[in-house]
Amino acid sequence: MTLVFVMALLWPLCVALRSTWQLVRGYPAFDLAWLSAAWPALVLAFLGEGAWEWPAWMLGGQWALDDLSRPWLAFTALLWSLAALHARGYFKAALTRARQGDEEQCYKLARFVLLWPLTFAGNALLIVSQDIASFYLGFALMTFAAYALVLHDRTDEARRGARAYLVLAVIGEGLILAGLFWAAGQEQASTLAGVREGILISPQGVWMALLLWLGFGVKAGVLGLHVWLPLAHPVAPAPASAVLSGAMIKAGLLGWLVFLPLGEEGLSPALVAFGEAMLVAGLAAAFLAALYGVCQRHPKAVLAYSSISQMGMLTALVAMGLIDIELWPLLWPGIVLFAGHHALAKGALFLGTSVSEHLPRWPRALTWAALALPGLSLTGAFGAGILAKYSVKHALEEMHHTPLILLLTLAAVGTSALVGACLWRQWHQRDVGGGDGFQLAGWGLAILATLSVPWWLPLPEESVHVPSLASFVELAWPLPAGVLLLAAGVWLGKRLGAKPLAAGDLWWLYRRPALGVVALCAGVAKRARRAKRASVERSLALETWAMTHLTRALEGETWLRRHGSGLMMVFAVLLALLLIWEGRG
Amino acid sequence: MTENMAWLPLAALAVSLVAAIAIFSLPETARPVRTVINLGAAVCKVALVALMVGRVSLGFEDTFSFQIIGGIDFVLRADALGVMFAGLSSILWLCTTVYAIGYLEGAANRKRFFGFFSLCVTSTLGIALAGNLFTFLIFYEMLTLSTYPLVVHAGTQKALAAGKVYLRYTLSAGVVLLLGVVILYSLTGDQSFASEQGLDRYLDDHRGLLTLVFALLVGGLAVKAAIVPLHGWLPRAMVAPAPVSALLHAVAVVKAGAFGILRIIYDLYGIELSALLGVTTVLAVIASITILYGSLRAITQAELKPRLAYSTISQVSYIVLGVCLVGPFGTIGALAHLLNQGLMKVTLFFCAGSYAEELGIHRIDEMNGAGRRMPLTSLAFTVGALGMMGLPPTAGFITKWYLGIGAIEAEMLWVVAVLVASTLLNALYFLPIVYRLWFCQGPAHGVGQWPDEQRLGRLETHGWLLWPAVFTALASLGAGLLAGLPFSPLEWATRVAVGEYLP
Repeated sequence: MTLVFVMALLWPLCVALRSTWQLVRGYPAFDLAWLSAAWPALVLAFLGEGAWEWPAWMLGGQWALDDLSRPWLAFTALLWSLAALHARGYFKAALTRARQGDEEQCYKLARFVLLWPLTFAGNALLIVSQDIASFYLGFALMTFAAYALVLHDRTDEARRGARAYLVLAVIGEGLILAGLFWAAGQEQASTLAGVREGILISPQGVWMALLLWLGFGVKAGVLGLHVWLPLAHPVAPAPASAVLSGAMIKAGLLGWLVFLPLGEEGLSPALVAFGEAMLVAGLAAAFLAALYGVCQRHPKAVLAYSSISQMGMLTALVAMGLIDIELWPLLWPGIVLFAGHHALAKGALFLGTSVSEHLPRWPRALTWAALALPGLSLTGAFGAGILAKYSVKHALEEMHHTPLILLLTLAAVGTSALVGACLWRQWHQRDVGGGDGFQLAGWGLAILATLSVPWWLPLPEESVHVPSLASFVELAWPLPAGVLLLAAGVWLGKRLGAKPLAAGDLWWLYRRPALGVVALCAGVAKRARRAKRASVERSLALETWAMTHLTRALEGETWLRRHGSGLMMVFAVLLALLLIWEGRG
Repeated sequence: MTENMAWLPLAALAVSLVAAIAIFSLPETARPVRTVINLGAAVCKVALVALMVGRVSLGFEDTFSFQIIGGIDFVLRADALGVMFAGLSSILWLCTTVYAIGYLEGAANRKRFFGFFSLCVTSTLGIALAGNLFTFLIFYEMLTLSTYPLVVHAGTQKALAAGKVYLRYTLSAGVVLLLGVVILYSLTGDQSFASEQGLDRYLDDHRGLLTLVFALLVGGLAVKAAIVPLHGWLPRAMVAPAPVSALLHAVAVVKAGAFGILRIIYDLYGIELSALLGVTTVLAVIASITILYGSLRAITQAELKPRLAYSTISQVSYIVLGVCLVGPFGTIGALAHLLNQGLMKVTLFFCAGSYAEELGIHRIDEMNGAGRRMPLTSLAFTVGALGMMGLPPTAGFITKWYLGIGAIEAEMLWVVAVLVASTLLNALYFLPIVYRLWFCQGPAHGVGQWPDEQRLGRLETHGWLLWPAVFTALASLGAGLLAGLPFSPLEWATRVAVGEYLP
């Protein structure tokens, strides 16, 4: 077991090293070793639970596979493996060009091949970490290595997407760092549990929670910090988008689950209020992203907004851990299933966007049905999606949170509309031929994995609940409703001649003030430089002036010395006269 | 083992002094002999300092002292704090010597260079091991003078001007420092760091005077530590050859100032007295201003070395800030940063020098695609840059973590804000460089030409330039990844801090 654990974390690094060695000798290759980067981690997740310690590691290393990290690692590693498989087919044409001597293509692929396993290594490390340093290391490694995956195509859009990603990622790192310092400093803790404790007992706990929520929220697409998602996803290669939207944004969610004191006894009223704010923000994201997302032109942008919307629902569910602590033990296993299902479904959908651009010569109905399957599951009306949605709902029902259930059901209408919009856009941008077996294999396996999530994922107990027929109808009606709404919207849009909206919504709003601030800083710096130069000149002038006077004074001394005897005489005479005058009186 | 191996600190000091004398007495053309002496002395010194480290960890404190005139002693003492700085300087001296031999291949005046280089390291070691203020002052001034020829080594107009500025700053600072020492001596009649009674007994009657002396001492040292607004000489001294800049920024001059401040606060005044006087809070504010100002100025630099110089200004103040947090965690952070910053900054300067030598790169916008042409150097640079940002697994993260925890412990939340802001600013000026190295198309991809390309070696550059950078980069990674191992910077810093707080 320990051996597998070490392998799971080291194997991706070995793969990266091996890729480096290959690059020195020739061309990048998507060979078996490269595909296997995530396999040991996958094996580890299915072997069972365990805990490891190594005090020499950074601030004291602690890792564990528990109820939470085990399923998390399983779906993450599986998605990475399938996306890698897909990537092999996806980059086939590019690889051929590279082998024919296209230098630029070769360099791009080299970067991808090298940074893919590194990004995975970070992702896997953060999942199994129980100490802050390892978690932060994994998070940072994943975040920064993934930059190359987003930038891959190097077009103007890709640069913009990558820049948006990086700017927000750095801001997020700053927020996380501040939150971790603050919360860990209370107890001088170095473990995740210590941070939770710190937030719970400190009077300023709510501010720490806010910092961490926002910091991880950059990844998880909290409303306002989500702008990188719709900019980065459409430009990244399909396998990269799949892991970005499936696995990596889940890392943000995992950050909340491990750092926030969810479901703990003795939450302060401020923390409960914070939970309510989080709930509102989550629901707002769920609805607004759906509204904005259906108006996108690019299918991957639609999917990005769908991710924001889904993560909004998850935010709302996580918030319940602060609002109702009795609900939390029932709810969190459902959240794990929900997250795992969304990860794989979203992964399959993103991989599908590359399939629809290179359609295989299958019967049309079959292909499009397969493309629609993960989407249907995502809406909660089909396959594993039913169980994923119902398991969460079941817990909410038991504790009588009816309004929230209603809102989540309404949000599912948005999900259906988004999935419909994505397929519709894919249909408009379809193309036949040029695909590859690996591409289809990765995608097909991802669909199968999506539809069967509850059966293979090593879930914690009590996480799967099977709905009755009546509840099934409640789960299913958002699908036709969403599709109808979408159709009505499309018809209305055509009548009014509406154009698709620009991806990245608030990014364009943030841009102007940000550019203004930069210009302001430049202006201030220019002024400061001028002021400094002036003051240096002034002090130099002052120094010259002082020195001249000093020299003149010293010259005066020379004059005194030269006329010393004469002056002494004058002095003596004066003294004598004074004495005489005194004596007379 | 004997109780007191008095010869040990003296021998460690003498090794490089003897090397300096030998180099000065050899003719300019005796290159192989000089190289052997240089490397031999550096290796010897590492061995001696390693022995000292071992002795200190066993609980010995080797002291060498003799009386110069009545009441004034020359004392060398190998205590935990001093040995820490000595270890850093001896290891980095070895790396820098190797680098300098490669760097100055075929250049003029190598004899002068290596002679003063050895003297410079002698003084640094003297500062590390100085057992009282008097000895400290001697070596501190010796450092000023032995560095001057190195700064002006190129002999150009610009170099001479920079040297003049350097001397103006450091010599006037020396006078201020001397004034402080004299006032203190006239008050106490004692100039030992570790005086038994401490200065506490003067607190009631001479509070103002103690504060004044503190201001004079720290003010004098702050010039070398490049604390704003006394930092003006450092960016100008960038005209020095790369190995000198590396040594200047990582160990010798800048660190000597910071180390002096550590000595003053921990050993001369004692941490409680400093806190009672209220000087630590003032110093923390000044250090924070320096951290932010240095980072802001670094962003505006278009050339690589000045950017690194401003980054040093910012990073060295972390050490001072950590001390001023007045708590074990802040202290550990400060002491670990003394070592970690040295390792990371020396890496960055080695790489900057290699870029300049191999490709003629001086400006940041010339660095496009250099990662392809010089992959190992660029990897080392990337590690150093990420370390400066404080990202794990580099050593920079460890210090930042302890400083952050220390700030919370001291209930100074604004320090956390400063740390986070500094992280963001560091990202702002280091990430674009990393981006250019790895993601931009440059001459290595057939776009444009390097300013002045030379093929110095079979590998990406001369092996003597490459391996020191790779070694220090690995060391700064190791210092972060395996921070929990015995004799790692963190572990040693913890040992010193425990000694300070739990006597």
